[in-house]
Amino acid sequence: MTKIQMNGYEDSYVIEGKMALPYTYFAGRVGSKFITTIRDQKKIMGVKCPACNMVYLPPRQVCDKDFTDIRDKWVEVSNTGTVVNFTVVRYDDKHLPRKAPFVLALIKLDGADTPFMHILEECTIENVKIGMNVEAVFAKETTNTILDIDHFKPAAERLSVHEINAARKQWVPADEPDTQEKRRGGRPDMSKPVIITAALTGAATMRNQNPSVPYKPEEFAEEAYKCWKAGAAMVHAHAREDGGMTTHDHGRIKATFDAIKDRCPDLIVNLSSAVGMGVTPEQRISQIVAIKPDMASLNTNTMNFGIVERKTGKIFIDYVFENTFTMLQDFGKAMEENGVKPEIECYDIGGLDNTLLIGKQGIFSDPMNFNFVWGVAGGQAFRSEAFIAMMNALPAKANFTTCGVGTDQYPCIMQSCILGGHMRVGLEDNTRMPNGALAKGSYEQVEVAVSIANALGRPVATTAEARLIMGLRKR
Amino acid sequence: MAHQKKNRNVGIIGIGQTKHSSHREDVNQPELIHEAVSLALKDADLTMKEINCVVHGNMELFEMVHSPDLWHVLGTGAYGKDSIRITTGGTVGATLSCASDNLVASGMYDIVMAIGFEKLQEGHTTGGITNMADPLWFRKIQAGALTGSSAYDVEREFGLERANRASLTYRIIMDKHAGLNPNAHRAFGLDFNQIDDLIRTSPKLVGELKLIEMCSQSDGACCVIFACEKKAKELAKTPVWIRDHITAHKEETFNIFGYNRAFPVMKTHKFAAKQLFERNGIKDPLNYFDVFEMYDPASWWAIDWIRDFFALKGDEHLKLVENKEIMIGGKMPINPSGGVIGSNPIGATALIRVAEAALQVRGNAGPHQIPTPVNHALASGFGGTMWTVMTMLEKDLNW
Repeated sequence: MTKIQMNGYEDSYVIEGKMALPYTYFAGRVGSKFITTIRDQKKIMGVKCPACNMVYLPPRQVCDKDFTDIRDKWVEVSNTGTVVNFTVVRYDDKHLPRKAPFVLALIKLDGADTPFMHILEECTIENVKIGMNVEAVFAKETTNTILDIDHFKPAAERLSVHEINAARKQWVPADEPDTQEKRRGGRPDMSKPVIITAALTGAATMRNQNPSVPYKPEEFAEEAYKCWKAGAAMVHAHAREDGGMTTHDHGRIKATFDAIKDRCPDLIVNLSSAVGMGVTPEQRISQIVAIKPDMASLNTNTMNFGIVERKTGKIFIDYVFENTFTMLQDFGKAMEENGVKPEIECYDIGGLDNTLLIGKQGIFSDPMNFNFVWGVAGGQAFRSEAFIAMMNALPAKANFTTCGVGTDQYPCIMQSCILGGHMRVGLEDNTRMPNGALAKGSYEQVEVAVSIANALGRPVATTAEARLIMGLRKR
Repeated sequence: MAHQKKNRNVGIIGIGQTKHSSHREDVNQPELIHEAVSLALKDADLTMKEINCVVHGNMELFEMVHSPDLWHVLGTGAYGKDSIRITTGGTVGATLSCASDNLVASGMYDIVMAIGFEKLQEGHTTGGITNMADPLWFRKIQAGALTGSSAYDVEREFGLERANRASLTYRIIMDKHAGLNPNAHRAFGLDFNQIDDLIRTSPKLVGELKLIEMCSQSDGACCVIFACEKKAKELAKTPVWIRDHITAHKEETFNIFGYNRAFPVMKTHKFAAKQLFERNGIKDPLNYFDVFEMYDPASWWAIDWIRDFFALKGDEHLKLVENKEIMIGGKMPINPSGGVIGSNPIGATALIRVAEAALQVRGNAGPHQIPTPVNHALASGFGGTMWTVMTMLEKDLNW
């Protein structure tokens, strides 16, 4: 101890002390396996909670959210990940692992749900950005610590859908021979681009089911942009009020439409002609005529459209969705006359037949664009043979896409992609990811659709290609 | 001391303890805690869902980790729950029990979980404890909780030989008790015929305080679940009722070299016990209580404190020890668990006193259960420079 005396405080003692605080840290069995797997196998392992699907990295023995013992639920995660936050250490201290200045980044590895901190090197500090891709560089010599990953370095950026599309030959109509014949045999042209649509809201999905459902125009714009970035060529939107209620107010629908178009001018915007319960046919179609979107939904039969508990059959909301022949005819004409391409919604094969019947008046221009909808309470559930029957009943030049409510979503879009059709995803239809976790937004489901297309070798349609395929007016 | 009747009765309905040990390389801190929490939940047949509030405690800075209660949520289960951290030094475990009792009695929560833990193997006890006394006057001459003042006192009063033999007798009784307790850290298998050898051979730490007489340095955790009377009766077969508790504090230092007989240091035990028994109308505590779980950091302190707690006169306390009346089966069994000398995960230690006393009342403590019925149990906590917490447990709600 030394005595310090400051000016003006000569009568007051201040004692300077210093404590040495040695300690050891016990990683425990779970933490030890994490370290030794990195050391011996150059593999990064986390644990996955079976109750809530969280993948923890670094691993932990217990899921703090639900107190599930997860000590042996090991999963391997990727050596690459994303910077979710970072800081620049600008002072030197004995305990620090590098000489200042250096970057400590919070890195969320691909496959993990929690970020962990590590050193980021091999790039200038100015170039470090949230969202950048990084990869682990393993240490040459072990220290039996987390520094057996020596550091992270910037990874080669993964090519986006758009970069892949820019590098390939663009699809033109001449590339497609008589597809309907091929389709019948189940041998579609897999080189034809697949159009991915994201249905952002619908009329029923609320934020209490998934907090990412957009309500405000600017939220629609942001969500639409993320979907476009992930590979969607089209979004389907039902405008909402700030509180989440559906609306048929022209001003609000226009504001929502314009916000999306301002954010992504290229993107095809498909509005709904069924804006919610308790609206008149006039209210349903007048907003389409007023706004003239690229596309709009056209419903093909009067049907039950309720909310029924799937396990018990208990009816929560009993509602008849009215779509008379007259409405099909009048809405169809109004759309075609205003340059709005109808997306013809078929909740069963009867709806398809209704359209062919009324279509004999010559209302619909080629190519007709059908959407097979599965899993509505009141419509058909997804069955692959029913899908094929509908596909085979289509007019020769027609396109088809599909969407499914809840767990029907991923199987039906995959079947559509295999058969040469297109895919619709989004929170309107399903709030979850294939593993049951809530989707962070419709864009995450678009990423799943892109991975299906990639797996089947089908290019993802650009907005320009989608316009050509579906016969939309040019921008 | 100002004291009012409880708003409602509180019972202990779940108890969990780890095996205490100096080697727990296999777990980190929350994982160690998780063991005790899981055992207590199992004992009470509850899940974390039913727990309304978690009270977490350990020594400040002993593991050199700041705000450990945050990180420890992984083991405490406090995610999304009200959670309170308590750190009152050696008494922390006893204070956890007092706080939980108060939180339930007040009506704030129906079910509260208290968790005390320590992982001394990871930290540096003396580094942490050296921070507690006045740094200007006393830091140089105090070495953590280690003092020989009690040994000096007992020795002066009763002579070196009798004092030494009483201390070692107490020590060996604790070793025998620890040998029965499967959770105890240290049980050497000592016997009374080794007393002379131990007096001669055990290294002296301060004055006559020998290494064999000191408490251990353990890793371990203890978890106790408290419930209001209504819930306790619904959920537990034999809830153990908390009749009263008391805390007495005093500023003091371990200034052994400047020790003055006119101002004896150790007085909070005597003060606390007197107040507690008076306000509960207990005239003869030695007869009233069936078991006593005492915070005994060293055997010298233990033999001296028996006199303070039970207001004994002359050499009555030494006779209790010499006649082995403090052994399981004796008149006043002390620390059937083996006590702090047997296991000392400090933040858990004083809570283990309450837990072990409650187990004795329940009658299912295990191999160290005392053979006669236990209706009234006493637990004490000790800490800091010198302070005391005492807790009274009852089998029946009839006081």
